[in-house]
Amino acid sequence: MEKLLLIKYGELTTKGDNRNYFICFLVKSIENKLLGLNYKIEKDYYRMFIHTDDVYEALNRLKNVFGIHEIVIAYKLNDSNIDSICTSAVDVLKNVSFNTFKVETNRSDKSYKIKSNDVSRTVGASILKNINNITVDVHNPDILLNVEIRKEAVYLYYERYAGMNGYPVGTMGKALLMLSGGIDSVVAGYLSIKRGVSLDFVYFESIPHTSLEARNKVISLANTLCNYGNIGHIYVVNFTKIQEYIYKNMKGEYLITFMRRMMYRIAEKIAEKIGANAIINGENIGQVASQTLTSIKAVNDVTNYPIIRPLATYDKLEIIDVAKKIGTYNISILPYEDCCTVFVPKHPVINPKLDVIHSEEEKFDFALLDQIFEDIINIEVPTKERHNEYL
Amino acid sequence: MIYLDYSATTPVIDEVLDSYVHVTKDFIGNANSIHSLGVRSKELLLKATKQISEILNCDINEIVYTSGASESNSTALKGVAFKHCKKGKHIVSSPLEHKSVLETLKYLEMCGFEVSYAKLMPNGQIDLKHLESLIRDDTILVSICAVNSEVGYKSPLKTIRQIINKKNSNVIFHSDMTQALGKTKVNLYDVDLASFSGHKVYAPKGIGILYKSKKVIIEPLIWGLTENAKFRGGTPPLPLIVSLAKAMRIMNENLDSNIKKVAQLNELLINGLNDDKIHINSNNLCVPHIVNLSLKSIRSETFVRALEKYEIYISTNSACSSLESSTVLKSVTDDKTINTTSIRISLSHFTTKLEINEFIRIFYKVYDELLFKK
Repeated sequence: MEKLLLIKYGELTTKGDNRNYFICFLVKSIENKLLGLNYKIEKDYYRMFIHTDDVYEALNRLKNVFGIHEIVIAYKLNDSNIDSICTSAVDVLKNVSFNTFKVETNRSDKSYKIKSNDVSRTVGASILKNINNITVDVHNPDILLNVEIRKEAVYLYYERYAGMNGYPVGTMGKALLMLSGGIDSVVAGYLSIKRGVSLDFVYFESIPHTSLEARNKVISLANTLCNYGNIGHIYVVNFTKIQEYIYKNMKGEYLITFMRRMMYRIAEKIAEKIGANAIINGENIGQVASQTLTSIKAVNDVTNYPIIRPLATYDKLEIIDVAKKIGTYNISILPYEDCCTVFVPKHPVINPKLDVIHSEEEKFDFALLDQIFEDIINIEVPTKERHNEYL
Repeated sequence: MIYLDYSATTPVIDEVLDSYVHVTKDFIGNANSIHSLGVRSKELLLKATKQISEILNCDINEIVYTSGASESNSTALKGVAFKHCKKGKHIVSSPLEHKSVLETLKYLEMCGFEVSYAKLMPNGQIDLKHLESLIRDDTILVSICAVNSEVGYKSPLKTIRQIINKKNSNVIFHSDMTQALGKTKVNLYDVDLASFSGHKVYAPKGIGILYKSKKVIIEPLIWGLTENAKFRGGTPPLPLIVSLAKAMRIMNENLDSNIKKVAQLNELLINGLNDDKIHINSNNLCVPHIVNLSLKSIRSETFVRALEKYEIYISTNSACSSLESSTVLKSVTDDKTINTTSIRISLSHFTTKLEINEFIRIFYKVYDELLFKK
């Protein structure tokens, strides 16, 4: 009896002809996670099986993979004879502590002669007979033993672990995430990865007004998303000159509006260049002056690119909950100033007017935007561990 | 040379010393500086601290670097006493403690604190019933080491915690784990504060740790606090910290097999010294790394010096208080021939069987020579 992992697919099961495309991405995600382990993957249209000597380690690593509905620890029987199913079921359960149980059978191999209900009944009877002090409870059992009868083998399982659901990373193509060091944008990134999007990142910094530590913080946030299967690049944009220009020459209360319009323009260019199909950010309706609907409209005015705002309708506390769950919260709250907090007008405009913006922007030196692309720093994530040689 | 004084201090492993040298040369920035050299140093500091916190199974913010276990002990005891003196002025400890604990407690007594010591049973274990009777409503702190440095007695920290909680769950529990690190599996679950030292685990001298649970507030001993030194002022000594992190990693990777190896050496040594002329004080409640025995008819100092002629290095009681009679053994037995003639042989996984056999041979030779002279 071999112990292995049986993977039940997530939402990709709604796919028909192109299901294999999704499954291939899932295999890739899983292979990345299991790097260094000894394993073999078998897959078909409905299920995936992972053969490995270290079932629990593999299980642990797969808990963060999108595209999986459920991971179960299964026992594979090559002999589908009902007596051998009964003996194996007792073997599997004899060292488990429980009071009540239920057996459920499903027979994808319809040529199997005994009907599912009868298999359940026979196996159940055998368990009752061979294990002391237990009873059957069909409504609310401590243990639900599944018997899955398939053409190639029979699988028994009772240990189930929830997967992350969503789509395998990459199945939906690439998008560019506007990543700051704050709480929201990285959560927006996580939610996008969950829907199968793979991310590259753009980060705007204003050295010397902002610090290297602020950049490192953003790198750690992007690295955290790698735990969920995202591999990509961070494009670090030196935003100092633009910010200084706006600060010195343009209408003060519109400062953030102009700044964000410039960011969108730069993000669009990067997105086009890297083949990203959308720009994603952490904007959230009404959270700050630059995120009122009128502000969002005023900023969005510079691009026709799809802008996706996964957090648009979240409450701050809901965002924080996700941030804590995915392990970014403690990084995000580190106290380093980012480029949005350095130049802040006393009273930022809440309802910016487009005609004001357009006439004011005529003052802007757009040549500055072109210069920016020359000094973009490209950082791969996951970043290689630094300084390991000393430790 | 046969070095059998590993519980006094250990030699620095070559790989660890390499890290010390390279970090000293490559990371000149102060981790508190905001320029890129400082940021780079801070990055390494955080990485080393993370590695240590993972080994000790605690939060990264619960690690406080000190100059060594004596400072950790002083910080813990004075820090709790002065911060919590409004809740009570009573402290409980034991005769198993290191000098840095006992003397700090004496100092605190001069400052108006009251200290009670739990009695020991003849097997060296703390008399738990007596301990329980000592804990009062105004007790603020209990300090009991995880492993005694002189004889090697292990303390049941989990049970002690339960006893404390039964009587007064507000009591803060500190444990000096200096001799436990690398010799047993260290568990911080039952304590609020714990002291460690680098030079007992093959890291350089001058670096130690105070584990301080997030739930506990203490008064700092050394002020000048910064973001990178939140509870103990001073520039983080990056080369020492990185060396400690590396030494602890190496220690942790081989912990089980090292303990097993030392247990075999211990058996070899004890069997070899099985003789009526001497009395072995360490028992099966001790870590295998420490073998304490009493020479009965020979003064311990004389014996230790005599062994030196053969390039064999051991200790009279613990290295830090070599010229006094043993407080631990005094608490275990009234027999003066035992509690004034003790020596400590301390082993390492670097010790070989050959060394043990040679030690046993010379031991008897020197013993007989000294006896004859007497």
